[in-house]
Amino acid sequence: MASLTFHSLTGTVEKIPTSSFCSNPRISATFHCKNKGEKRVSRMTLKAMGGAAKYKGTQMREKQLTEMIEKKVTEAKEVCKGDETSDECKVAWDEVEEISQAKADLRIKLEIEKKDPLESFCQENPETEECRIYED
Amino acid sequence: MAVCTVYTSQSFNSTCSISTPTKTHLGFHQKQVVFYSTGKRTNKRGSSSCGPCVITCSAGDSQTVVIGLAADSGCGKSTFMRRLTSVFGGAAEPPKGGNPDSNTLISDMTTVICLDDYHSLDRTGRKEKGVTALDPRANNFDLMHEQVKALKSGIAVEKPIYNHVTGLLDPPELIKPPKILVIEGLHPMFDERVRDLLDFSIYLDISNEVKFAWKIQRDMAERGHSLESIKASIEARKPDFDAYIDSQKQYADAVIEVLPTQLIPDDNEGKVLRVRLIMKEGVKNFSPVYLFDEGSTISWIPCGRKLTCSYPGIKFFYGPDTYFGHEVSILEMDGQFDRLDELIYVESHLSNISTKFYGEVTQQLLKHADFPGSNNGTGLFQTIVGLKIRDLYEQITASKTAAPLEATKA
Repeated sequence: MASLTFHSLTGTVEKIPTSSFCSNPRISATFHCKNKGEKRVSRMTLKAMGGAAKYKGTQMREKQLTEMIEKKVTEAKEVCKGDETSDECKVAWDEVEEISQAKADLRIKLEIEKKDPLESFCQENPETEECRIYED
Repeated sequence: MAVCTVYTSQSFNSTCSISTPTKTHLGFHQKQVVFYSTGKRTNKRGSSSCGPCVITCSAGDSQTVVIGLAADSGCGKSTFMRRLTSVFGGAAEPPKGGNPDSNTLISDMTTVICLDDYHSLDRTGRKEKGVTALDPRANNFDLMHEQVKALKSGIAVEKPIYNHVTGLLDPPELIKPPKILVIEGLHPMFDERVRDLLDFSIYLDISNEVKFAWKIQRDMAERGHSLESIKASIEARKPDFDAYIDSQKQYADAVIEVLPTQLIPDDNEGKVLRVRLIMKEGVKNFSPVYLFDEGSTISWIPCGRKLTCSYPGIKFFYGPDTYFGHEVSILEMDGQFDRLDELIYVESHLSNISTKFYGEVTQQLLKHADFPGSNNGTGLFQTIVGLKIRDLYEQITASKTAAPLEATKA
């Protein structure tokens, strides 16, 4: 699981800059932020482990999928207790497979392709909740 | 832009009238022009008058080549797809500015469509009816056929989106006809009408042991999963898988079969693989890859004096066989590549690999060294199949531009 740690030296940064103001903080170690005429300089250090979700929406989705897997596995075990060959049992495990694959696809996208699926959407809509840059 | 050349062996006199269709379809490339000759026509050669002559022109760009790929491992995100699109150049990306959960991938030459988008039942619907996604009853083959046919004829379509996270059918996205359309999913060859639209089809056949090993690798890190749950999921889906998915194998032009290695006794890690590329003989525009001598049977261990390999080494096999009643050629690789020179050595001994330059297969594998299977038969054969598809595409487009149309002759 990836984590991003921001250490602000001067303490003047109250708001995490959005992409419309500043260059991507993940790429540069230092950046200058212009916010309504004020000039803030902060040094940010980044500690990203593995493929990281860039946007909040993606981070939330990762969490959602993890929880769904747990939930659906429990459900499947429950449903199959009665009859392992029943249609309900088949369908329950099929759902587990679907969600497991969806989670794996997301992981591949983040870790191997190093792309956040919301990238394109967030370029157009940087102000939405899910496009907030993921913070700890 | 349509270019029409009309060849006639007799001149039309003024009694002929020309009628053109009043209805035109958006992006419809074919126009039919019907000539009616009303007057009496004498022909010195004595051949009969032609009556209504239909001359069809097709535009030069309605040449969408359709490839089908049957795979259980999700859609459009599979390694095979990435390798294939890479052979044609450019990276395949989801459509920009659209639904972030789209399963579609688009590159310059190719568009990859996930067949899950043709689910007729969403997750709730399937639960209600008690059918898995593998069941044909969960899929709209009429729509699949209609849209693949349209794209093949150069007509754009509004294709539904199946969202794998929410399990719902999202609003459709516009798909424009590409040069190469790849339909990937569980049922590309299930419906006969769709099958007939395919210019080439591939089936990825993963053996049970390897599937289990791969799913363990995929899922063990997940909190909800355990060895038992992974096993139970595979077992529960197996009857539907065997009935509806596996049964498509026989229709594929090429099957990539992935089995556990025979080089390491009792290996159950699934890391070293034995991969067989089963190629149908007699497929149009496709000439099977071979080793040394086409049609003969060869067993080849490249490691020796000229090439040193590390454990467990590499072993090749090539030979003719029959598969579901069809004549096939099988090329098999067991083991893995450890070094660049092993790769290039093997490549230099394969024939009919449709490369454009020496070392192209090696280059493609190195380009994506981080993809799974880059050091074994899966990566090697997926890359080779990608090159064969490129070759097939070039042959098809070359033959289509050479013969635009033919007029009916009296």
